[in-house]
Amino acid sequence: MQKTKGYKQIISWLKADKRKPFDFQKETWQYYLEGYSGLVNAPTGFGKTFSVFLAVVIEGLNQPKPVKGLQLIWITPLRSLAKDIARAMHEVVSVLGLDWHVGVRNGDTSQAERLQQKKTMPEILLITPESLHLLLAQKGSSNLFKNLQCIVADEWHELLGSKRGVMVELAISRIKGLQKANGKQQLRVWGISATIGNIQEALDVIIPEDNAKKIIVRAQLEKKIEIKTILPDTIETLPWAGHLGLKLAHKLIPIINQSRTTLIFINTRGQSEIWYQHLLNIEPDLAGRLAIHHGSIDFELRNWIEDSLHNGLLKAVIATSSLDLGVDFKPVDTVVQIGSPKGVARFLQRAGRSGHSPYEVSKIYFLPTHALEIVEGAAIKEAARENNIESREPFVMVFDTLVQYLVTLAVGDGFDDKVIYQEVVQTHAFKELLPEEWTWTMQFITSGGDSLTAYNEFKKVVKDEDGLWKVKSRQIALRHRLHIGTIVSDAMLRVKFLSGGYIGMIEEYFVSKLKAGDSFVLAGRILEFVQIKDMTVFVRRSKQKKAMSPSWLGGRLPLSSNLGSVLRKKYNEVLYKKHQDEELDVVYPLFLTQQERSHVPKSDELLIEMINNREGFHLFAYPFEGRLVHEILGALVAYRLSKLVPITFSIAMNDYGFELLSDTEIPMDDGIAYEIFSPKNLAEDITLSINSTEMARRKFRDIACISGLVFQGYPGKYVKNKHLQSSAGLFFNVFSDFDKHNLLLRQAYEEVFYQQLEEPRLAAALHRIQQSNIIITYPKRFTPLSFPIKVDSLRANMSSEELEKRIERMKKEVFKE
Amino acid sequence: MEIKIRGEELILDKERAIYLPKERLLAISDLHLGKAAHFRKAGLAIPNTVSRNDLLRLENLLQKYQPKQLLINGDMFHSDYNTEIDEFAKWRKKFNEVSFILVKGNHDKQKEEIYTDLAIEVHEPSYNCAGFCFIHDTIQCRSDLYPIGGHLHPGIRVYNKAKQGLKFPCFYFGEDYAILPAFSAFTGLRLLKPKENDQIFAIVASKVIKV
Repeated sequence: MQKTKGYKQIISWLKADKRKPFDFQKETWQYYLEGYSGLVNAPTGFGKTFSVFLAVVIEGLNQPKPVKGLQLIWITPLRSLAKDIARAMHEVVSVLGLDWHVGVRNGDTSQAERLQQKKTMPEILLITPESLHLLLAQKGSSNLFKNLQCIVADEWHELLGSKRGVMVELAISRIKGLQKANGKQQLRVWGISATIGNIQEALDVIIPEDNAKKIIVRAQLEKKIEIKTILPDTIETLPWAGHLGLKLAHKLIPIINQSRTTLIFINTRGQSEIWYQHLLNIEPDLAGRLAIHHGSIDFELRNWIEDSLHNGLLKAVIATSSLDLGVDFKPVDTVVQIGSPKGVARFLQRAGRSGHSPYEVSKIYFLPTHALEIVEGAAIKEAARENNIESREPFVMVFDTLVQYLVTLAVGDGFDDKVIYQEVVQTHAFKELLPEEWTWTMQFITSGGDSLTAYNEFKKVVKDEDGLWKVKSRQIALRHRLHIGTIVSDAMLRVKFLSGGYIGMIEEYFVSKLKAGDSFVLAGRILEFVQIKDMTVFVRRSKQKKAMSPSWLGGRLPLSSNLGSVLRKKYNEVLYKKHQDEELDVVYPLFLTQQERSHVPKSDELLIEMINNREGFHLFAYPFEGRLVHEILGALVAYRLSKLVPITFSIAMNDYGFELLSDTEIPMDDGIAYEIFSPKNLAEDITLSINSTEMARRKFRDIACISGLVFQGYPGKYVKNKHLQSSAGLFFNVFSDFDKHNLLLRQAYEEVFYQQLEEPRLAAALHRIQQSNIIITYPKRFTPLSFPIKVDSLRANMSSEELEKRIERMKKEVFKE
Repeated sequence: MEIKIRGEELILDKERAIYLPKERLLAISDLHLGKAAHFRKAGLAIPNTVSRNDLLRLENLLQKYQPKQLLINGDMFHSDYNTEIDEFAKWRKKFNEVSFILVKGNHDKQKEEIYTDLAIEVHEPSYNCAGFCFIHDTIQCRSDLYPIGGHLHPGIRVYNKAKQGLKFPCFYFGEDYAILPAFSAFTGLRLLKPKENDQIFAIVASKVIKV
């Protein structure tokens, strides 16, 4: 490689800039030129992009005469990423005098530009998974990929754990197939990923062929991260439960003032609105220099915020996961995480948003929202130190995505089912696909369903004279192109001022509870609801000082099991004072109280607290496995107890444990405890203890959208499709009653079991508990561990503000000494 | 379940129908025949069994009550002519002795001859009987009689202790008007917000209960 023209050119160009390549970049170039596919694993800020991109450029420069036509497809999960990467790439090729064009194609690309691309494709195309499928849905698309050398999946760790990852797998399989048919198989596939627990699997998903030349290139570079917990002066300052943490807000102000620009991450959109108001209240100087950024804020406004971040106009931005990914904002030198980070990978990713250049230190502050959460600060530090990072589980056997993909091909140039079957079973997602399941999928799009049930007059994909399966109806084709993708949004309405100007999006469910004159907060503004017209919520500025903030459904991530296990370990250490963590010193008094009233569980113990009071009989258990697992575990334990005696429970849970509450005494001893936490008959007992049909029905909503059963219309636009309106729930009923073999229905149940119920994680937890000592205590009062769960169970029907007051009252009542 | 409305005895059947014994009239609303086929034509896979099952349920009702008249309170056929209407035509012949009355709804846009051929008596906008005004959309009722409508596909949400709501189709009898549930199983629900004096009868799995 060193002798090639391209390499020399690159090195001298870098030299002119007083730079030189990192070892992992050179390694990547070498492997690429030798025909390898692979995965680049490097921390952010070290030029991941240039690893694979320059490899393709070197090869391009090495050609005796410039090759034209599409050379490189660069898949990015975010539209906003594409713009900046394209700019950087364009700079490189023009400086090096390579006559290549860089094009961007996604939802924001104009029609004119698309047409231009259709005539002459740029050599380098930046694209989202959705737009790549849209490209496949174009007539004549088969010819585009003749000269394609490389497909790159950027931020592959993000795509991997979603159905969008499956879209990437399918698109790659098709492009490989097209090249094979042309007898030119030069394509190399590269993923670029941050560190995740299953990096080898990440490679095998994107390059599934066992015999392929594939390699993982790891950057032996360490990103320095400095984690600091914002601690209260005394532990009493922080409430025992809660999720806002406003009590520590004043400690945030000096941090913001001393930093150039601060990114403040908060777990939910609703909380971010409250924090925005609160920060402005306590520090009015921030007005105009503090912004709020989340997924429900209008696109234009978000763009403006991102631009202002680049230019350093903003002192701080409050954000949700909407800013987790994306381009680097150079001025950002400090990151704050408010509330539990939930997972190690997510926390590190957020930390990486500051101090972006190589060897610069990323600085992140953790602001706990309740007393026990302080321990998470110590846990996350240790997990980060030991690189104990979660895995991203790839999706498999997602029939909704397969159905959509096949129709996409049928809308484009059409497909031969025998060829595509071979390609599909090569992918990681569908390697277990059975021939009969393939047959069903084909029937679903050609004749409507299996032969046991008649589907008269069904029209979708038909066999053309040339023997290929195609969509003939223009209307069906149009509708399909409009909804290619696997991100299903809730029914959202746009919010607009009466005087004009969009502010953001809001859930229909929330709007339905508003009356004219009601006020609510969005994008940090207090708005008065006027009316809904044409799927738009019209508002005017409100004169009120306070208003409710909308609760957006979903978005509450559970604690990851990695973080959970480090957390259990930290609980061990608090009382023994053999640790180095200042966090644990602060919570020491709290743990003394816990020890006095009950017991502090060690990492090889499961604590069960039985508390009787006016409310009734409580059982608290603390497996530290995250909210979702506890929800199911709670139901499971309740079911198993109810088999012993007739008894009724209500269930509450948080990330640390769960509570069962009953009006009759709950039977409990060591024998019973091991029995109810046994992994025996797990699948069977789960089915009996939870309403899996109801959960599957909820999952089916997304599946129905992705597989094209339910048409969502344009985002933000109301497309009337006469006589074709129906809901996913209706399809779920119809299939349950009349078409039990429907694989989409089966998929819904499987998604419930593996994602919602996290069955493997639940089983692992129960096995662990069987190996542990179960400690049963009978505290007279609520303990620091049980109290947050008690409060959490109130959360369902109360707004944040009332909740705060209620907790204060309860605290006074329950904890009077 | 038997109830009395404005002095008239009504039987509310769990199969989403009402029967007026004195008149020997069975009334249903929103049959939406041909909806599944309309979806299939547009590339959405809905099995035939859906509409067949609707007809089977109707058949059972006709055998159970042996009515003189069957009143369909609008939205009998979902859309354009399709094979499901042919299937209905065959089925219709089994009940030649029953007169079929259709009060036109917003979906009923077939040609006149089709109704004539199927021996369906068409009324527009309403049909008065037993002191009631049967009309598809009660808002359009200009009569002084108590209107009984359809159109909305009414549903009611019932909450249990664990704060988990369940939705059921329902019969609605309010101060000013009544609404029948949609007969077809292939229909969604529009949730009602009942006022104080409204009577709501939810159709749960095997029976009708007052909410």
